[in-house]
Amino acid sequence: MINDIGYVFLVAAMAVSLYGVFVPHLGVVRNNWNLVRSAQFATILNLAFVAAASAVLWRAFVVSDFSVRFVWETSSRDLPLAYKLAAFWGGMDGSLLFWELVLAGFSAAVAYGYQRSNREIIPYVIAVLNVVHVFLLFLLLTWSNPLAIQSPVPLDGRGLNPLLQHPAMAAHPPLLYLGYVGFSIPFAFAMASLIRGKLDNDWVTTTRRWTLFSWYALTVGQMLGGQWAYEELGWGGYWGWDPVENAALMPWLTGTAFLHSVILQEKLNMMKVWNMTLIILTFGLSVLGTFIVRSGVLNSVHAFAQSEIGPAFLIFLGLMLTGAFLLLFRRMALLESRHTAETLASKETTFLLNNLLFVGIAFTVFLGTVFPLVAEALRGTKLSIQAPFFNTITAPLGIALLALLGVCTLIAWRHSSLPHLARNFRVPAAAGAVAAAGSALLGVRSGAALTVFGIAGFTATVLLLDFARAVRVRARQEEISLPAALVSTVTRNPQRYGGLVIHLGMVALFIGLAGNYFKQEHSFTLSRNQPVSVGGYQLVYKGMKVEQVANATLHGAEIEVYRNNRLVDTIKPARSFYPTQPDPLNEVAIHRTLAEDLYVVLASENAGDTVTVKVNINPLVMVAWLAFPLFTLGAGIAIWYRPRRLTETALDSRWSYA
Amino acid sequence: MTPPPSQAAAPASSWLRSWKFWSVMGGIAALVALFTFGFTTDPKKVPSPLVGLPASSFQVRQLNGTEQLSLAGLRGKPVLLNFWASWCVACREEAAILQQAHLTYEKERGVLRVIGIAIQDKPEPALAFARKYGKTYFLALDNEQGDIGLAYGLYGVPETFFINAQGIIVCKKIGPVTPEWIRDYAERGKTTCDQS
Repeated sequence: MINDIGYVFLVAAMAVSLYGVFVPHLGVVRNNWNLVRSAQFATILNLAFVAAASAVLWRAFVVSDFSVRFVWETSSRDLPLAYKLAAFWGGMDGSLLFWELVLAGFSAAVAYGYQRSNREIIPYVIAVLNVVHVFLLFLLLTWSNPLAIQSPVPLDGRGLNPLLQHPAMAAHPPLLYLGYVGFSIPFAFAMASLIRGKLDNDWVTTTRRWTLFSWYALTVGQMLGGQWAYEELGWGGYWGWDPVENAALMPWLTGTAFLHSVILQEKLNMMKVWNMTLIILTFGLSVLGTFIVRSGVLNSVHAFAQSEIGPAFLIFLGLMLTGAFLLLFRRMALLESRHTAETLASKETTFLLNNLLFVGIAFTVFLGTVFPLVAEALRGTKLSIQAPFFNTITAPLGIALLALLGVCTLIAWRHSSLPHLARNFRVPAAAGAVAAAGSALLGVRSGAALTVFGIAGFTATVLLLDFARAVRVRARQEEISLPAALVSTVTRNPQRYGGLVIHLGMVALFIGLAGNYFKQEHSFTLSRNQPVSVGGYQLVYKGMKVEQVANATLHGAEIEVYRNNRLVDTIKPARSFYPTQPDPLNEVAIHRTLAEDLYVVLASENAGDTVTVKVNINPLVMVAWLAFPLFTLGAGIAIWYRPRRLTETALDSRWSYA
Repeated sequence: MTPPPSQAAAPASSWLRSWKFWSVMGGIAALVALFTFGFTTDPKKVPSPLVGLPASSFQVRQLNGTEQLSLAGLRGKPVLLNFWASWCVACREEAAILQQAHLTYEKERGVLRVIGIAIQDKPEPALAFARKYGKTYFLALDNEQGDIGLAYGLYGVPETFFINAQGIIVCKKIGPVTPEWIRDYAERGKTTCDQS
């Protein structure tokens, strides 16, 4: 009964969304602002309906109401409450509803927040967002209804896939959705600007913070996904160039390019067509990503929630791209800017290069992801594209980006004097050389890793010097203490210094990624109380322990870890048995230090009280995770950016249709 | 107040005739076509590159008897080559099916040779498994290095190959075999392979 009411809420949401698609246009045509306002209200009402429907589903999870088929598929009575709540997005139908919920929240925020600004385009922003609502609600009401009822009611659910029972998995999908959905806001503003032919920079300035927020959510979402793969899948790494991973990476790459290139439009009125293209691609790749994850057309290890909605997503993607590019070409002549970079040695040039590299990487990833399908369609051969292809092409491009980041910070807008530039290069270049030489002395032998460390040293020094200089100047000018100057510097230009902190996080991420160049992998059998040496550690197997943890039975091998004859840790790699699953899962044990992770997987328990283990020594993984707090701090600072004044009409509240 | 410049579109003719526009539209169409094609294939199905090639020969000593066997020496009669292991759960499922194939096609009609090679296994548990499931056809163990399993590119067990009288691999089946699959090749002379 209550679940039927949830379905009725979805029907109501569909009704107000359809209203929100058509009525804003009517308001513009009839010159009636009240109609536009009513559509804004409908969009806020939509959130209420979708939230109510979601509450009904959450209730079914909490009370284990297995008359709801989706709850039966993804939950069970013995599941801890936190995972019951997270099982909401543990399958296709629920994640779709979750997407709709996030989009409804964002749309309502747009409808509420922009009642007085952007009046020219806001009717169409509302309409475009509601088109997406109609599509999602259509799926939810037809093939993908998470509130569908079944009878007879089973006594217990099939249980959440144990692989998904991990804290990072509870947070990773929602964050990705926040990112995907977040990019639909700048997309909607871009489309509305094209529809209205209002082709100034207001859509860019207005959505700047939405873009930042979406970028942050997508970034953290992906890092958590990597962390989950690292701790849960047990193959020893956090990124495997799987189609599903690539699906989330592609919009991130174009979105990051967009995040940078809109700065050129804001500052210099350049790249107008390019920015439109990038936001269309970013939103398109978000939809494509979901399509790849859900449709099962590409082979993936992450196919957790496949379903029959692939064709619907493909049709939506095709129509969306066609419509968006039609609009763009219709306005192309008006958008083309005459402004180009003045000299080669300017910040503009580095931004252009930055965009080329990001889009180049995105294209590489796209090609590698869909190529197996192309090969099968054209030649009938099955093949798979593995990590070497991606690494060979993207690693040099990525390292070039890291170097460019340093150069870009050094170089001035418009044009730089070369002698001045050369002087600024000296200290960072020396720091880079020291970093590379120091790593070599510490025993790093991989040329590629040394290159990354050298460039990372250079770029980090550039960033820190730049910040230190700004703080010193501020302290002298305002005659305040250095800490006060630091705060004042950051708060006066949050966009720039938030960005700087994020860039430092990027440097950390690259250093961590470079650890992959010299990781080690071993595999051996341990007998009880007989030490085995591996990569500077001694491992002593002490025996098997069986224990019950929440809904799983763990068979763990207790292993003492010694370093220089001192006991540093006792780890317990295990195999866990879930009552709802036929096969055991590996529980990885990791001894972490800043320098490296000792990563141990229990491969098998053998007769005669011996265990076979797989041991990875993964250098610098913790340094890569260090990017996470830096990204958070940086994005937190940058989001306080206030856009510069919008153009007259955008702000003018007197402008009305009446 | 200036009215919104909504009518300020470029003349339709100019952009509709640009090559850029049509390349973008073509790209979108190609993308949609590609993924539409994607719906018709299953990426999980990977064919064995060995199909259509001569089966690599090996020599083994019988586990449940004393016979020495060389695969090349069986040329002239089709072979059903099954890879299994005593620790493999799905192998229990297909044990009776293989035994039945042995009784029907090998003992009764003499049109097929059934061979089971156990991989990553030891003689005692393998023999115990054979006794428990009443396997009487030719069984043998792969060597310590697993050379036979490597030569046949095994993912795991069970996997079954149908090799024709000329010693060419006609088809490979991953997972438990079905009576239909065996009948198609042993009795109906099927020569194609729906690979899974």
